[in-house]
Amino acid sequence: MISSLQENLEATFKGVKVTAPEDGRMSVSVPSDSIPVVLRYLKGNGLDHMALLSCVDWIEDGKFELVYFLTCYMPNDTDYAADQKLHVLVRTQVPRDNPGIESVIGVFENIEPYEREIHELYGVHFKGHPRLTHLLLERDYEVPPFRKDFDTRQYVEETFGSIPPVDE
Amino acid sequence: MSMDRNQITKWLKSPGKMAHKYSLHAVYFCTGCGIIEIPPVITARWDAERFGVIPVATPRQGNLFMITGYVSVKTLKAIIRTYEQMPDPKYTVAFGSCPINGGMYWDSYNTIKHLDKYIPVDGWIAGCMPRPEAVFVGVTHLWTLIDKEMANGYIRYKKKYAAYRSNQEMALGELDWPPLYPIEDEAEEESK
Repeated sequence: MISSLQENLEATFKGVKVTAPEDGRMSVSVPSDSIPVVLRYLKGNGLDHMALLSCVDWIEDGKFELVYFLTCYMPNDTDYAADQKLHVLVRTQVPRDNPGIESVIGVFENIEPYEREIHELYGVHFKGHPRLTHLLLERDYEVPPFRKDFDTRQYVEETFGSIPPVDE
Repeated sequence: MSMDRNQITKWLKSPGKMAHKYSLHAVYFCTGCGIIEIPPVITARWDAERFGVIPVATPRQGNLFMITGYVSVKTLKAIIRTYEQMPDPKYTVAFGSCPINGGMYWDSYNTIKHLDKYIPVDGWIAGCMPRPEAVFVGVTHLWTLIDKEMANGYIRYKKKYAAYRSNQEMALGELDWPPLYPIEDEAEEESK
């Protein structure tokens, strides 16, 4: 399954680089504008579980790397043949200033909270997302707090350190 | 607990105080990791009822409020609302190092560091995590404080409400509930 999927992916999409670092794992590098089509293709090929969306801040390169974790649902335990266990990481890079990417809610509906989370913690804008509001945080941050250039100590000093103690 | 003969005068003097001192009803409010210590404390293993501590369903029935861990900004809002719903007299105990000074979250972007800036705290149980025994040490200390009328957080809250409310607003922004006590403007008071 892995080798055929690898060949098919590279033949079907332009600019897609597939590496298989170890058994059962596959890493797919994709240009950011073809994320929805690649994910739809993978979903059609049995990788129907969007497990996670993650983001890496490569501050020296000026890029955010979005990582989509895909696995397969298996109806029965006995269906787990060794060559079918597959864990696919779909990676794409978006520029760090004014980052934006197409939302994939149309492909995987359950990615909605993950995209909201990445939006509030990294400031990546997902085009077509129905409600990019806060998921976990209460307050607005000038720099989204998970970016590498967010200075937590300075922020804590300014925000919480400035609140005076109540004298007894 | 059997009644101590030496305490009879105390009972006669202020029966109400003695009664609620030995029947602390803890609000079962879970925040942070400290709440993992509370089920063994209240159940058969350590049995907090020996000390008169029993968890209750709603804050309107409780008089002991244990903050059991780090307080995120969002939780702070719930803590303030819960605290204000509890009837007087009420006692707050901060449990673990996070509500005391931030603990391991001292540089976190989303947790408040000093709980006593936002609500009055009567007792502190230090540790990360404190053992269940530490809860009972804290409870017995709280008895002493109640005896000496030093566990007066709810009185301080009323007296310094303006300061607490302004701190709460600094942390949470505009609060969407009205003040619990009337806030008197200091400048207005002076002009009178």
